[in-house]
Amino acid sequence: MTATFDAFAIWLRATAISEAIRSEPWLWPACEIAHFVGLSLLVGVVGFFDLRLLGLFKRVPLNAAWSLMPWGKLGFAIAAMTGVTFFVGAPDQYINNVAFYAKLAFLLIAGLNAAAFEIFYSAAVKPSSALDATLPVYRAIAIVSMVSWFFVIYWGRMLPFVGNAF
Amino acid sequence: MTELLATLERTGFASWLRESGSIWGYPTVLTLHTLGLGVVVGASTVIDLRLLGAAPQIPLAPLERLFPIMWAGFWVNAISGVALFVADATTKGTTSVFMAKLVIIVLAVAVLRSIKRSVYRPGQLDARQPMGVKALAAASLALWLLAIITGRYMAYV
Repeated sequence: MTATFDAFAIWLRATAISEAIRSEPWLWPACEIAHFVGLSLLVGVVGFFDLRLLGLFKRVPLNAAWSLMPWGKLGFAIAAMTGVTFFVGAPDQYINNVAFYAKLAFLLIAGLNAAAFEIFYSAAVKPSSALDATLPVYRAIAIVSMVSWFFVIYWGRMLPFVGNAF
Repeated sequence: MTELLATLERTGFASWLRESGSIWGYPTVLTLHTLGLGVVVGASTVIDLRLLGAAPQIPLAPLERLFPIMWAGFWVNAISGVALFVADATTKGTTSVFMAKLVIIVLAVAVLRSIKRSVYRPGQLDARQPMGVKALAAASLALWLLAIITGRYMAYV
């Protein structure tokens, strides 16, 4: 298993795109800046919606709070694209790093949780919707969201300390 | 000044933070600084986007409760920021980027306070937001971006 992963990392690191990412000294710091901008957008917009699901900001209609979500998704897209750039540029920093797999696991939980909300409860957040109840399942989804994004950030921050990433 | 920075860096707390290798030292403080950033910049961005015209269905009045959340994030970062600073006071304290970051944060907080004063005053809430408020919201977003840029730069000092 580890040998296959190592071979993959060595192959990826030797590709032209990986070399291109490392060859521009400004690219990595620029991606870090964008990664943090994406993180802030995501935490702000998703966190605000989670607090609304928990029953705070009750005077904000649920569908109104949801209308900011494209900005949260933009934040996620920025962080995801720059994150993939880090991985492609220096796969050896992540491939044997336990913090990397912990971060991916919590990303998966956060993503499935968000998808479950959109699939099963999208009627409540349509622009025309007047559904405004605070259901127990909303609270559960909000808590899973906040806890999993917390650990995505936590394990992201641990990458250089647990493994060898910078 | 150099002597003061060196003294700070030699304190037991600074040495422990920098050298203990404990997960509760530097890594935890850095994580708190990142979480605080997400909270203060994220909550501020929600208000700024709303003032600039995104999601006009969101009423402004309840968003006033985002301010205590922002101040909490701000204080987490002020305290964790001081800790990160003393750990490397002689290297961080002598750079102009650090001074620039401090000025940017002071300006960003001043802009937030102006937004709160302009938006949450009697009679203003139901009115159309004047251009001045939109300018403040745009300045707020620009200052947080600069704070992140200079903050990331500190990691390379």
